Amino acid sequence: MLSQVFWWSSIALEIVLLVRGLSSRLAYRLPVFYGYIAFVVLQDLARVFAFEWNPQVYRGVYWVTEFLGLAVGSLVVFEIYRVSLAAYPGAARMARNALAFVFLTALAKGLAAGSPGWQTASTALEIERALRAVQATAILALVALFMFYSIPFGRNLRGILLGYGFFIGERVICLTFIPPQGHHFWFYAYSASYIVALGLWLSHLWSCQPTPEPKANIKLEDGYQRIAAGTRRRLQETRGYLRKAVRS
Amino acid sequence: MIELWSLIAGVVLLLLLMAVAIKGWLAPRQFQERTRASRELGAMEPCPEEFVSRIFSPADREFVRGLKAGSIERLFEQERKRVALVWVHQTSAMIRKVMREHAEATRESKNLEFSTEINILAQFLTLMAVCWILSVAVQIGGPLWLGGLAHFGQRLSQQVTKLQESFQAGVLAKAERVGRA
Repeated sequence: MLSQVFWWSSIALEIVLLVRGLSSRLAYRLPVFYGYIAFVVLQDLARVFAFEWNPQVYRGVYWVTEFLGLAVGSLVVFEIYRVSLAAYPGAARMARNALAFVFLTALAKGLAAGSPGWQTASTALEIERALRAVQATAILALVALFMFYSIPFGRNLRGILLGYGFFIGERVICLTFIPPQGHHFWFYAYSASYIVALGLWLSHLWSCQPTPEPKANIKLEDGYQRIAAGTRRRLQETRGYLRKAVRS
Repeated sequence: MIELWSLIAGVVLLLLLMAVAIKGWLAPRQFQERTRASRELGAMEPCPEEFVSRIFSPADREFVRGLKAGSIERLFEQERKRVALVWVHQTSAMIRKVMREHAEATRESKNLEFSTEINILAQFLTLMAVCWILSVAVQIGGPLWLGGLAHFGQRLSQQVTKLQESFQAGVLAKAERVGRA
């Protein structure tokens, strides 16, 4: 019964979000995110019909759409990166390197754990958990970078980041504890996390808000080495200052 | 192992996003406030060097001890601890300001270097860790104890250097003797 409530309420919220996105024209500015929401509506409807029709078919439909959703969701992370860092090529370069590091580390970890029987022994749930954890780490790296470089976010993009990040974080935690069979607390927490994410998206994406424009940078483009050398010197001076004060 | 790693990633992500949502980080308003705060910090006078050198120095304590008044000594230690904490806080704010200015200047640079940025970040994190350790040490033992500890560390390091030098000299002398023989 509770599962049905989650199902239908999430479908209703997704449709409201899509309608609002189209009427406020946000769907044209953030096409990947709204494409993801449209995909999830179709996915939910396909699951409902499959569940009503044949529970065996539902199992297959569930896992196929779940992994497709994961792939489309990764494009949402890419859209957040692309839109937020469009005016900041330096921070964008750092983000690319940080994301490459996260994916290479995950790949190396996966290969290291990949003993001959590993792939066959893993359940779909375990694979999803590992992939969602990689997604969570990538979002974590991006948020840390946004904070480090003081990237200002508009209300809309901030909402997408908060909602999707919350959904992934909650999903990863639930997948760690969720049992393979049956409906327990973590099963419902897993479904409820998406409703919370939808609530966050609706509140932040109700209307189109202007994206803050970066202030014109008067510094020379080739001055990076000079700025970096200056920062290192200032940090070294502070280190000397600290040492001198404590040893005085 | 993968389960634990996933759990940590999920929990850290949730906590960070909660902080972002509650504190209003990443919102444009917050950056305006931050810029204002950094301007205020820039306008703030740095601590004079002669004043800073006295915070961790035992000279004043010895003078107060000479008065042989327990209450004055306690008051002095409390005050000195407060001053030391303010100084540590001010220094860590200065370090954060340097990094903020660096980040704001370089985020739009097309030729930013990953390795240089990581190097600067490591320097920044080390300094922040030193400030944090200083703050904890001042709260636990007081600035004078910390000053004593620093002097002890310095003496110890000088003794180790001397010992190392004499050891190297001994090794060289031995090598020369073997060479002559």
